[in-house]
Amino acid sequence: MPDQKADGRRFETGHNHAEAEKLLFDEAQHLDDKEWGAWAELYEADAEYWVPSWLDEYELVTDPDTQVSYIYHTSRAQLQERIGRIQSRKSITALPLPRTLHMISNVVLTDIDDRNIDARSCWTTHVFDPRTRRQHLHFGTYRHRLILSDGRYRIARKKIIIMNDCIPTVVDFYSI
Amino acid sequence: MNVHTPLDGLIDDRPSDKAFHVSRSAFTDPDIFDLEMKHIFEATWSFVGLETQIPRPHDYITTFIGRQPVLLMRDGEGNIGCFLNTCRHRATMVCPFKRGRQKFHVCRYHGWAYDSAGRNISVTDKDDGQYPADFDNADRNLFPVARLESYRGLIFASLSADVPSLSDYLGDARAFIDLVADQSPVGQLEFVPGDITYTFDANWKLQFENGLDYYHFNSTHSSYVDILAQRTKSGDATGFTSERADEVEGQGSFNFSNGHAVNWSIKRQMRYGRALASDPDGLAEVKARVGDTRLKWMLRQRNLTIFPNLQIIDISSAQLRTWRPLSADKTEMTSHCLAPVGESPAARRFRIRAYEDFFNPSGLATSDDNVMYEFCQTGYAAQAGDTLGHLRGLDPGIGLPGDHVSELGISPVDYAFGKPGFGGETNFHSGYREWRRLLQHATGEAADA
Ligand code: FES
Ligand SMILES: [Fe+2]
Repeated sequence: MPDQKADGRRFETGHNHAEAEKLLFDEAQHLDDKEWGAWAELYEADAEYWVPSWLDEYELVTDPDTQVSYIYHTSRAQLQERIGRIQSRKSITALPLPRTLHMISNVVLTDIDDRNIDARSCWTTHVFDPRTRRQHLHFGTYRHRLILSDGRYRIARKKIIIMNDCIPTVVDFYSI
Repeated sequence: MNVHTPLDGLIDDRPSDKAFHVSRSAFTDPDIFDLEMKHIFEATWSFVGLETQIPRPHDYITTFIGRQPVLLMRDGEGNIGCFLNTCRHRATMVCPFKRGRQKFHVCRYHGWAYDSAGRNISVTDKDDGQYPADFDNADRNLFPVARLESYRGLIFASLSADVPSLSDYLGDARAFIDLVADQSPVGQLEFVPGDITYTFDANWKLQFENGLDYYHFNSTHSSYVDILAQRTKSGDATGFTSERADEVEGQGSFNFSNGHAVNWSIKRQMRYGRALASDPDGLAEVKARVGDTRLKWMLRQRNLTIFPNLQIIDISSAQLRTWRPLSADKTEMTSHCLAPVGESPAARRFRIRAYEDFFNPSGLATSDDNVMYEFCQTGYAAQAGDTLGHLRGLDPGIGLPGDHVSELGISPVDYAFGKPGFGGETNFHSGYREWRRLLQHATGEAADA
């Protein structure tokens, strides 16, 4: 393992772990603040966004081409399609939009090579639906693949595992 | 004696006056919910699973019929059995897993054991002499369901023996199961792996109605319609099909006996591609096997409801969904991506992506439906008069005679066909008539007793 300095900088690969970790928190904040454009900009144009389903009590699906996922997108444009839908004021799932609060912790970063870092983290999202006055909680783990391009990190891949997968009514990119 | 039942006035069905109303309380009253569970879900055929979910000896899945837990399994000889998932000793759920493969199911409480045919094979410490003398004569096997039959690999069970054969129960709705199953070169259907379960806080009949409701598509799903239009512009036409120029465009429905119904549409130009048409070789194989007419029907959108708990939607992808009513205002849904066994990997990929796109609480269309049911449930609580929600199509006017019935070789109990925006609601009526028949049958018996 390369030496790590107190400021989080790893000299061998040149990755800045503090900045990489901040990206996860920025993403959560964009979602909670409904800054959809800024959120989508965190993703590479060909980013993979994957919310696998569960095969049974223990196993997640492993192959989106032969198994069912909640969401499987392979471009930022598909995320923007979802954004466009909730911004159109034509989807009842977004009228009104729930308030959400994302919490992320237990972040573990692993350098892959000069450009890529993998991040594993734990997340919870509290969702309050003003329409029904109901609140619920989604929780699970994230796996981010971050890529250093033009001096900043972006998301090349994100896998969202939902642990409590009996879904109340609706789940979308802003609530997980 | 005239016994007042809670069913009085729930359905106002007067064909000669062209009147059909369903009382709001049918959606909200907990007493009616209890009657529905006992006399509908636990008294007629329910879909419980696919044979392909338990292909090998000792494979099993667990599910529910109404409120009652059941264990569906294949024994060592390959026979399928369905048993109440409750121990003979003190009622413990014998199998706590969703699916798996086991020769024996050992109850965790005191260790009684059952084999995959449901036979009790061991009572812990039975030989130490503490049981009464006639205990050996007691039936200790798992309780089998009263009736269990399959059609095209779809397994149905009934907790009541007082039901017609499955074949008679399904009647001409079978033709529409065939249109899905025959898309497979080996005539078999399977679920694409991956479980999706969700709930909505509304009555199960909102799902029953919605699956037969074309009227809502352009309003409820207008954001999705926009997305489809945008995608068409960007030009990916994979799997797109068209009807022959001499077909009259329109939207129609068939009502069958025992509460089943299907609606379908004939569109010169579809709004989305079809998994079946996304693979030219696969399509050619199906065409050679089933002929032009049945292929034409396979490529039309068809929403099939098998009363009371099953819908099969065949559009860009195919979905099989079932529901488990939890209370008058809460329903648990299980959704599967349904696929013909043996389709090409490319068609399968297309099917899965199209399924995720539309369906489920994470899809771009179903999520809107789920929220809409909750709006309805809130609205049904209003102590107002009957809704006007079951009348559209009662005076069809625009109805056209078609070859639809003869092409399919069926004799539906009712038939409607109109313009593409027809969106009739008379296709809910068969389900409601069966609903009322089962409830009256049951409460009538109670009154005589
Ligand atoms: S309850 Fe099953 S062994 Fe006692
Ligand atoms: Fe819908």
